[in-house]
Formats: sequence, C-alpha cells, structure tokens
Amino acid sequence: MENRTPFPKPPGESPRAGEPGAGEPRVEKPPAGEPLAASPSGDSLVEVRGLVKVYPPATRALDGIDLDIHAGRIFAFLGPNGAGKTTLMRILTTQLRPTAGRASISGCDVVRRGAEVRTFIGYVPQEMSVWTDITGYENLLLYAKIYGLPAATRNAQVREALDSMGLSGFAGTLVKNYSGGMIRRLEVACTLLVKPKIMFLDEPTIGLDPSARRAVWEKILTFKKEFGTTVFFNTHYMDEADLYSDEIAIIDRGRLVKLGTAEELKGSIKRDVIRVGLGPGATAGEKTLARLRALPSVTEVSFADSEIKVAVGDAELALLAVIDVLRAEGLPIVRISAEKPTLDDVFMAYAGSSLQAGPDLREVRSVRRQIQKG
Amino acid sequence: MNALREMMAMIELELRRLRHDRTEIYTRAIQPVLWLVVYGTTMSSIRAIPTGKIPYLDFITPGVLLQSTVFVSVFYGLTIVWERDTGILKKLLVAPVPRYSTVIGKTIASGVRAIFQALVIVPVALLLGVKFIPRPLNFLAALVELFLISGGFAAISILVASFMKTRERFMGIGQAIIMPLFFGSSALYPVSMMPALLQRIAVLNPLTYAVDAVRGLMISGDLSHLARDTGAIILFDAVMFVLASVSFRKIIE
Repeated sequence: MENRTPFPKPPGESPRAGEPGAGEPRVEKPPAGEPLAASPSGDSLVEVRGLVKVYPPATRALDGIDLDIHAGRIFAFLGPNGAGKTTLMRILTTQLRPTAGRASISGCDVVRRGAEVRTFIGYVPQEMSVWTDITGYENLLLYAKIYGLPAATRNAQVREALDSMGLSGFAGTLVKNYSGGMIRRLEVACTLLVKPKIMFLDEPTIGLDPSARRAVWEKILTFKKEFGTTVFFNTHYMDEADLYSDEIAIIDRGRLVKLGTAEELKGSIKRDVIRVGLGPGATAGEKTLARLRALPSVTEVSFADSEIKVAVGDAELALLAVIDVLRAEGLPIVRISAEKPTLDDVFMAYAGSSLQAGPDLREVRSVRRQIQKG
Repeated sequence: MNALREMMAMIELELRRLRHDRTEIYTRAIQPVLWLVVYGTTMSSIRAIPTGKIPYLDFITPGVLLQSTVFVSVFYGLTIVWERDTGILKKLLVAPVPRYSTVIGKTIASGVRAIFQALVIVPVALLLGVKFIPRPLNFLAALVELFLISGGFAAISILVASFMKTRERFMGIGQAIIMPLFFGSSALYPVSMMPALLQRIAVLNPLTYAVDAVRGLMISGDLSHLARDTGAIILFDAVMFVLASVSFRKIIE
C-alpha cells in the first residue's frame, strides 16, 4: 500500500464556501496509522473526507472515514453489525448529516447540494422498502411518478425495469405474495428506473437463501455492465464481498481498517493453513507437534479428529517441510491441503474480532421475517 | 412541483391499496355504527338532551362520522412510523422531493382513507332515518371538511409517534387523544349545555369546529359559522403539519 498524497482538487472547481481556496482543512484528524490508498485511476465519483458521526451523548458511529470510490466500480463495505456501515450509507444518501467532515458525490457535497445528489442516486435500504398491499407494477409506477418520469414513457420504463430483474411474470401480483428474493429484486428494479449514476445497497441479500442471493446479484451485475452504474454495497457476508466487489473497505467500530481488492486483502496477511489428514488410528504425538512447531514461519499446530492443522505464513513454502517431518515420524498421510486465508481471517487480523460473530441473529431473523411476512 | 407529485403519489397509493383490500374500512365502521344504532337511537327515544328541532340521532351523526375519521387518521399516522414503512420512509427521503412533502403527502393520504370510511357509515345513518340535507354541494363540502380535519390528526399522530418507543404505548395514547377530544366537543351535545370549564376546552378543540361545520352542511343547514370553522381547521392543520415535519427528523434518525 503506498502512502497517499493529498487528493488534488480537480481543475476548475471553485473553492467551496467557507473554505480557503487552496487547501482543504480537515475538520477531524484521521485515525493514526497507515494511510489508506484507493487504486488511483481517474476521478473519484464519491469522495469522503474525515467523516465523523456522533450520536448523542457519546456514540461515535463513524470516527473519521476517508474514501475515494471511482466510477463504474463495485465497492463493498465489509464489517459486522454496528460497525457504522449503514450510518455511512445514510450520510452518503443524504438522509443524515455528518457531525464533522464532508462527502461529495460527483462533485456535489451531500449536505449542501443534497437535493441535487438525490436526482442521480439509487438506494435500497436494509429494511423492506416496497408497499406490500399493492402489486409489483404499482410499486414501480408510484416510484416512477415520484421521480417525475415522463408520463409518455413511464409504463414502458416500468415494464423494462421489471423485465431486467426477471419479474415480468409477477408484475400483477401483490407484493405480499412475493418471496424474499423477489422483493429484493423488486427493490433493485425501483432504483434502476432512474438509471442512477451510483446505486447504494444496504445489505442487499440479508436473510435470503443462496439461490435468491445469486439471482439478485446476477441481475445487478447485468445492469451494471450495461449502464456502467457504480455500485456501493454494505455487507457482513464475506463471500459476497469476495465474489462481487472490485474493491473492499473493511470497517470496524466506525473506522476504516483496511482497503483493497479481495486478493490484495487476503494476500496481505500471512496466515495460511495446512491440513493433513492422517490414516485411521494414527496419532500425532507431542514430539511430532513440537517438531512441526519448530519449523520456520509456523505459528500454531493442533491435532484433532485424525487431522493435523498447521498455521503458517506461507503454505507454498512450508508444505514440503511439513511433509518431511511427518514422513520422518512415520505417520501415514492420507490427504493434505493448503488453505489461503478467507476474508474472515483478514477481518480478524485487522479488526481483532470475527465477521462471523458479527450478525445479530435476531436482526437477521427479523429482517427475514419482514421480507417473508410482507 | 416535485412536492405536488409526491403528494399525488401518496394519494394514489391509498386509492390503489383500497382497491385491493377494503376490509379495514368495514371493520373500522363497526364502532361508529354502534354509536348510531345503539347509543343514538336509545338517547333519541329518551329525549335526554335537547337539540332543538333536530332529532338527536341526526345531531350526533356528524360527530360520529368525525370520530371515525379521526380514528382512521390517528392510526394511519402510527402505521407510517412503524413496521416496514421505515424502509419506505428512508427511500422517500432519498427521492428527489422536498422533505416536508412526504409528511404532508402522507397526512393528506390519510384523508382519502377517512373519506372512504365516512362513505361506509353514511348509508347506515340513512337507513336509521337520519335526514341529510339533499344538496350534493353540501355533501361534497362536508367531505372536504372531513378530509381537512383528518390531515391535522394524522399529523398529530406522527408527532406523538416520534416520541413513542413501542406500538403498545401508542395505542393507549391514541385513545387518550381521541376520546377526550370527542367528549369535549359539540359532537354529542350542544356546547351551551356543557359546564363552563368544559366549554372553554371545547372552544380550543378542533373537533368542535369540525363538528359544527359538518353538522351545518349535512344536517341543520346553518352555515353561519362555516368560514370560521373552516379557518380554524386549516389553522389547526397548518400548526400540526409544521410540528410533525419538524419531529419527523427524529423518526428518521
């Protein structure tokens, strides 16, 4: 990760009111530590500087966030519940005002030019945001009217949005009879109506079963490919962040902990695991375990259920040595595998807690119930 | 312009909802119907309350209509605040419409529901022999008054709901708001009959003016106070809208 130089103002942009021309005085100091760098390529669509949000009396939901999101990318915010993801998204979508710092989308400050920002962003909140006692078509029609889509093309646009999310067949069904995945797809269809520059999705697949999750993402990706929409999503599912994002920001307790692509993040911590399955009846004694522990870059060794687990810095380098030790001890190796760290390991390394422990089961259940009950 | 679009959309939403399911309108009509059928006819025959030339049942019909209107509006405001609407509220906040138009749009939409509610009760009243003034214009004007007063009460409920943490507490508060206002108005008896203290309350009570207006339009033909009544209702609405818009922020955060 390179040290980031202060992001230069694009030429021609007049200094914002209240700020001296050249520099951008930070209102709040960013957290001490390694400065984070976004991959530099073109102008940022979304710029966040020193964003702080304090809920009285003393809850610092956001503690100084700096971020640059480039157009056309899929950006994930990964972190457990309560990390501040939703707060950040609500500030970016102009629902809340930050306590300090600033954010702008496409050059428009979210606080000062909020009304303008709202004309080109799409948003799917975590909770259900469609009316259940009317049909899918009627939902989109109402949003189309609220967004002021021209009457002549309105119906066609609604049909197109429904079509792109695979809901044409259910246009006339009451939303309370939709499945959870369908509801989410309908909500995404709503944002598609306006062809937004950037789509904000708050936990897009929470409470959905795997096939529904895949279906929702498939549609989002297709749309993104066709219209070049930037996508910004919050999630506590590491697989979702891993699979679908171009870039991930790990957030914990209101702070940006690490930034990078999924590969970069996983590669940045040296924690592979080698698993060796021993033959039936074979045991690894203390002597064997001690010899394994003594190998270079091995951090931990354990044995359970006929399986030895060796935590190493780099599996590729240590594999041979591990095999040699086990052969020397005369242990029958039945199978062997090397695992690279998952994003959960990355999270654990940087934030000191597990993503998996994060989601409050009650909250997941309640969102799921909302979606299913309608 | 955007604001108007949003408000129209909210009204259209109610109409579409009603088109799909009208059950709630019928179930909420039960209590007002009981007021008319049981209380109204009984008190009429006892002749306990002097209401001049107007039969007692006719006298209380506007009040009963308004009570049902107010109930609908107060509980409509509640639903706005809770349940899955929170996701919808967030979406509406992010739509390119002015903030206040969501609140106002919703309170207006409650008026739509209230009118349908009233339209269910009117036939019952007719069946019981209540004599409405047979002028369509009067009837329409009365519906407009119902529409107006409903907005104000929906706004009150949004205001109150932003301070309530649980739905159960709100239910109790809802009753606590509606019933005193109902009894403290001219719905069931002429104001002149009320004890002095109660009269002072009745003067400040928006329902008193609403009842007066609707009764004048629908039953008695006495329109001498119509301007004053309508003005009072509009003032009440305006104040409540402002307060509700302000407290609306609390609901969002």
